[in-house]
Amino acid sequence: MMAIRELKVCLLGDTGVGKSSIVCRFVQDHFDHNISPTIGASFMTKTVPCGNELHKFLIWDTAGQERFHSLAPMYYRGSAAAVIVYDITKQDSFHTLKKWVKELKEHGPENIVMAIAGNKCDLSDIREVPLKDAKEYAESIGAIVVETSAKNAINIEELFQGISRQIPPLDPHENGNSGGIRLGTQSLQAGRRCC
Amino acid sequence: MCSSEEADLLRLEEVFSATLARTNSLILQPLLSADPEPSDPCGRECLGLLQQLHESSQRLWEVTEQSLHSLRQRLHHPPSVGLETLLLLNSADHVLQAHMEYIKSYTDCVVVQAFQKVSKRRSEYWRSQWKKLQQLLSWASSEGSVGTTLCQALSQPLTQHVQKYILLLLSLRDTLDKRHPAQELVLHAVTLFGNLQSFLGQALDQAVATQALWYSLTSRVRDVLCTPAHRLLQDSQDIPVVVTPLRAERVLLFDDALVLLQGHNIHTFDLQLVWVDPGPDKRALRILTPEEELSFCTRDPRDQVVWQWKVTQAVCQALHGKKDFPVLGSGPEASVPPDCRCLAYTFRREGRLYQATYEGDWCRAKPHGKGTLKWPNGRNHVGDFCQGLENGFGICLVPQDSEDKFDCYKCHWQEGSMCDYGVCEYGNDEVYKGYFQAGLRHGFGVLDGAQQASQPFRYTGHWERGQRSGYGIEDNSERGERYIGMWQADQRHGPGVVVTQAGACYQGTFQGDKMVGPGILLCEDDTLYEGTFTRDLTLLGKGKVTFPSGFTLDGSFSSGTHKGLYTQGVLDTAATPPNPASTRKRQLGLGAFPVESRWQGVYRPFQDFVRSGCPGELQEALLGFHVQSSRELRESQEYLSCERSHPKDCAGSMEDILQELLQHREPQALQQYLRKALSNSRHPLGRLLRTLMLTFQATYSGIGANKHLQGMAQEEVKQHARELWAAYRGLLKVAFQRQGQTLEEEDVETRNLQVHGLLLPLILPSFYSELFTLYLLLHEREDGLYSQGITNLSLFPDTKLLEFLDVQKHLWPLKDLWLTSNQRYSLVRDKCFLSATECLQKIITTVDPREKLEVLEKTYGEIETTVSRVLGREYKLPMDDLLPLLIYVVSRARIQHLGAEIHLIRDMMDPTHTGGLHDFLLTALESCYEHIQKEDVRLHRLPGHWNSRELW
Repeated sequence: MMAIRELKVCLLGDTGVGKSSIVCRFVQDHFDHNISPTIGASFMTKTVPCGNELHKFLIWDTAGQERFHSLAPMYYRGSAAAVIVYDITKQDSFHTLKKWVKELKEHGPENIVMAIAGNKCDLSDIREVPLKDAKEYAESIGAIVVETSAKNAINIEELFQGISRQIPPLDPHENGNSGGIRLGTQSLQAGRRCC
Repeated sequence: MCSSEEADLLRLEEVFSATLARTNSLILQPLLSADPEPSDPCGRECLGLLQQLHESSQRLWEVTEQSLHSLRQRLHHPPSVGLETLLLLNSADHVLQAHMEYIKSYTDCVVVQAFQKVSKRRSEYWRSQWKKLQQLLSWASSEGSVGTTLCQALSQPLTQHVQKYILLLLSLRDTLDKRHPAQELVLHAVTLFGNLQSFLGQALDQAVATQALWYSLTSRVRDVLCTPAHRLLQDSQDIPVVVTPLRAERVLLFDDALVLLQGHNIHTFDLQLVWVDPGPDKRALRILTPEEELSFCTRDPRDQVVWQWKVTQAVCQALHGKKDFPVLGSGPEASVPPDCRCLAYTFRREGRLYQATYEGDWCRAKPHGKGTLKWPNGRNHVGDFCQGLENGFGICLVPQDSEDKFDCYKCHWQEGSMCDYGVCEYGNDEVYKGYFQAGLRHGFGVLDGAQQASQPFRYTGHWERGQRSGYGIEDNSERGERYIGMWQADQRHGPGVVVTQAGACYQGTFQGDKMVGPGILLCEDDTLYEGTFTRDLTLLGKGKVTFPSGFTLDGSFSSGTHKGLYTQGVLDTAATPPNPASTRKRQLGLGAFPVESRWQGVYRPFQDFVRSGCPGELQEALLGFHVQSSRELRESQEYLSCERSHPKDCAGSMEDILQELLQHREPQALQQYLRKALSNSRHPLGRLLRTLMLTFQATYSGIGANKHLQGMAQEEVKQHARELWAAYRGLLKVAFQRQGQTLEEEDVETRNLQVHGLLLPLILPSFYSELFTLYLLLHEREDGLYSQGITNLSLFPDTKLLEFLDVQKHLWPLKDLWLTSNQRYSLVRDKCFLSATECLQKIITTVDPREKLEVLEKTYGEIETTVSRVLGREYKLPMDDLLPLLIYVVSRARIQHLGAEIHLIRDMMDPTHTGGLHDFLLTALESCYEHIQKEDVRLHRLPGHWNSRELW
C-alpha cells in the first residue's frame, strides 16, 4: 500500500476570481468525491498519486472579501501549499495576488509551496494581465504558475500536479509535522479504498 | 418374672448404697468437720475439695438409690414394668455422669493429698476409728498411713462396684433373647460401664502419678505447680528428652500445660497454644508456642513416638475442653489438633508485643487470620494477621498523651507495617489519606491540617518515606497561597509556581522552602516582572517590568528607607509593543513539571497492581475501602471491630471485572462499559479517575483558578486520558493472560484515536468545570469584545444584518416569510437561518469536543439547506458566501464565552483532525468570533436614516 500524505492547501485570491470553481473542477468527477465529507465548496479533499506516494489534498477555501483579509492567517497556518488565484481579465486581482504573496512570505508557514493560477484563460481576448508578467513574477518568487480555466477544465490537473511535485518527499526517518504533513488513520482508510 | 441377675443387681445396689452412706458418716463427715485456720489457704483449699467430694458422693448415692428404686419396682410388679425401666439401662449415661463426677472430685483430692493433710490434723480421732476403717476395705495393708487408708476406702468400693455392674449386666444380657427389646440397652450399658472402668483406672493412675510427682520436686516448684486440676501425663524422668534452645532439666506434660523446669525457673506453656511437629529426624520433635520454638530430642525413635503422641493427644484434649473418654486419645474429636485455632494470649517476652494480648485466630503458634491485639497502653489493632504480623486490612488506634485523643489508622498492612492505601486520622485532627510503604507515607497522599489549627493547610501530592517529596500542591489558607511544584525532604525544592488569592502568581526555583534567584511574576493587572523579588511580592534587585501597555522598565529595584519602591533603570516606551496576549496569556509551569511524570504517584499503584496480575487480595489495598469514621470508632472502642463494606459487594471481584472487560470490546459496548466503570468509584478505573479529579481540583479550583495555569491544566487532562487508556489496556492484558491469550499491541495511531475519540470525551465532564473556568479567565477579554459585538449586532433587524455582513442578496431567505416586502426589510428579526442558529446553540449542551464539532457540521448543513431552498437548487457554498452567513448565524446564536469554547474544543480535539474537516469548521467558527470582535462590528451603528418613521 502506498503511503498517504495529507496536504493542507489554502486558496487565496479576490472574491469572484473563481477560487472555488477551480477546486470544484479539480474535485469533480473524482471517484471518492461522495465519500469524503465536504463543506460545500469551502472545504474539499482529493487524493492523487504522486510517485510512490498518495497525496491527499485538504483544500481550504478562504473568503476573498477585503474585510475578511485579516482572518486569512487562521486559514493558511499549517498549510503545505497555497493556491493564489487571480483573474486574467482583472488587473486588480493580480495586484491582490501580490499582496497575498507578500503576506505569506512574511507570516506564512516556512517552505510553503506557492502556486499562482491565472483563471479564466478562456477569456483571453479581454485579458488585462499578460502571461509574461505573471511568469516573471512567479519566477521572482519561486512559485508555480499556470493559466487555468475552471470553465473549460484547462490546466486544473496540471496545477495540482505541479504542487505535488514541489512537495519534498517524505523523509522516512522523520514523521515531521512541518508543512502540515501528517499520516493519519483516516488517510490510511482512504488509502485502502483507492488501492 | 424377674431374673436372678436382676435380683443380684438389686443386692449390689443395696450394698453400694450402704457403703456410700457408711463412708459418708465415717470418713467424709469427720473430714469436713476439721476446721482449718483462716490463715491456712492450703487447708481451706483442701476443705473445699473435700466438700466437693462430699457433694458428688451424695449425688452418687442419690443415683444409686434411684437405681435401687427402679429395680425394686421391677421386682414387685414384674409384668407391668418392663426391663427398660431400670435406671441402669434407660439412663446409663446419667449413672455414668454421677460416677465421673465422683471420680473427678476424688482424684482432685488425691492430687493435692487432701486426705493426708486433713487427717493429720486429727490423727488421734482417726487412730480411734482405725478398726472401722479397716472394715470398709476388702483388702488393705495394715501398715498403711491414715491418709492412704482413707484414699483406698473412698476408691475401692467404687472400683469393685463398677466391675460387678459389668459382670451382672453381661449375665443379664445372656439371659435375654436376641430379639428382646432391652437387648440393645443392656449392651449399651455394658459398653458404657466398661469404658467407665478404663476411665477410672486411668484417672486413678494419673492422680497417683501426679501425687507422687510432688515429692520429686523442690518445694518452690511444687508450690507453683501443685493444683488440684493438674494431672501428670508424661515426665521426662521416665522418658528422657533434651530440650533446645531453652535448656530444661525436666519436662512435665500435664493435661493442660507443658512445663519446663530449669532450676527455679518454670516455663509453662498452655497446651491450647502448643503446636507439635515431627522433628528433622526420627528422634526429635518440634514444639511451637507463641513465643518459643522448642526442639525435643529423645534417645531413640520409640521415645519420640511416645512424646509426640502424648503431647498431641494432650493438646487435642485441652482444645476439646474436657477429658477424653474413656482414655486419652480416644476422644470424639479428631486425634490431630487443628493448625488454626481461635484463642487469646498475652505476650510475655520483651519486645514489640510485650504485655500485649492477642485474641483471635492462630495458625501454627502465630496470630494468623482475624484478631485483635491490645497493648496495655491502650493501643489497639483489629484486623487481619499473617504469620504473627499485621497483614491485610486493619484498624489501629494509638492513644495520645492527652486523654480522649487517638491516632486512628485504617490501613492496609504488610508484614506488620502500613502499606498501600490507608486513611489516618490523627489525634490532632490532621487526616492523611493516601499510600504507605513500610509504615511511612509513600507515593501519593493528601494530608489535611486541622480545621481549627493556627496554620490550616492541605497538601496533595507525593511522599517519600514519610516526607513530602516530588510534585505536590500545598494550600496555605493563612497566607492565601497555593504552592504548585516540587518538594524534597518536606521542603519546597526545585521549580515551583505560587498562586495567590489576589490573583497574582509567580514561578521560580525553590531551595530549602524559599525561592532563590530570579523568577517570573505575573500581576493581576497583567504586568509581567522578570527578576528577583521577595515572598511578599516586593521587587528587590535586578529585573525587568513589562507593563500591559508594552512599555518596559529594565533596572534594579529596592524598597527605600521610606515606604514605596525605588528603582533605577531604563523605561522603554518606544519598544514595539509585543503581542499583548503574550503577557496576558502567559502560561506558567509548562516544561517545569513534565506532564508525564506529574502525577506518577497516582498512576503507579495502578500500574503495579496490573503488573502483578490484578491479585484479588490487593484490590482493596488499591481501591481503598469504606469504614466508620474514627469518631464512631472511638466511641465504641470496647467493641472495636473491623467490619467494612466489602469491595466485593460493590463492584464485584476482580475476576468479574476482568471477565466483563472481555465481553465489552466492540466500540459501542466498550464506550458504555467505560462510562459505567469510570463512574463507579469501586472500579479500578473509576477509582483512578476519582483520585485524578481530586488532584485536579486541588490544583485548579479556588485559588488555582488562575488563567496562567490553563496550559498546565489542559495538558494534564489529556495526559489523564492517555493514562486511563493505558490502565484499561493493562486490565485487558491481564484479562487476556488469564484466558491464556496475549493481547495484541496497538499502534500509536489506534491509541491516539482511542484516547481522543473515546476516553477524553468520557473523562472530560469530570474535569470540565475547573478546566472551562480556566479557559473563561484566559479568554475573558476577547469574550468581552465578542460579547459587545453580538450585543450590537442583535440590534440589527435580519435584513440589515445580512446587508451589513455583505451577504449576497440572492441568498437571503426571505421567501419563507409571509410579509410585505417593507416588513421583510425592516421588521424581521431572528427569523432568518433560524434552524442553523438553533442548531449552533446546542454547542453548549455537550462537553464532548467531538460532539461540539458535529453540532458545527450540522449547523453548516442547516445553512446549506436553507440556501438551497432559497435558490431552488443545490448550492455548494464557497467561502466567499459561507463566511458572512456563518457570521450571521454566530451573531444570532449569541453563545456566551465562545472564545473559551473554541479554544477548549481546539485543545481537546483529536490531533489527527488537524487540517481536516473539523479543523476547518472550527477555524471558520473562530474566524467569525474574531471578526465579531472587530471595532467596526462592535461599534457600527445602524444607518442614521433608518428609523421607525421610515418603517410605515
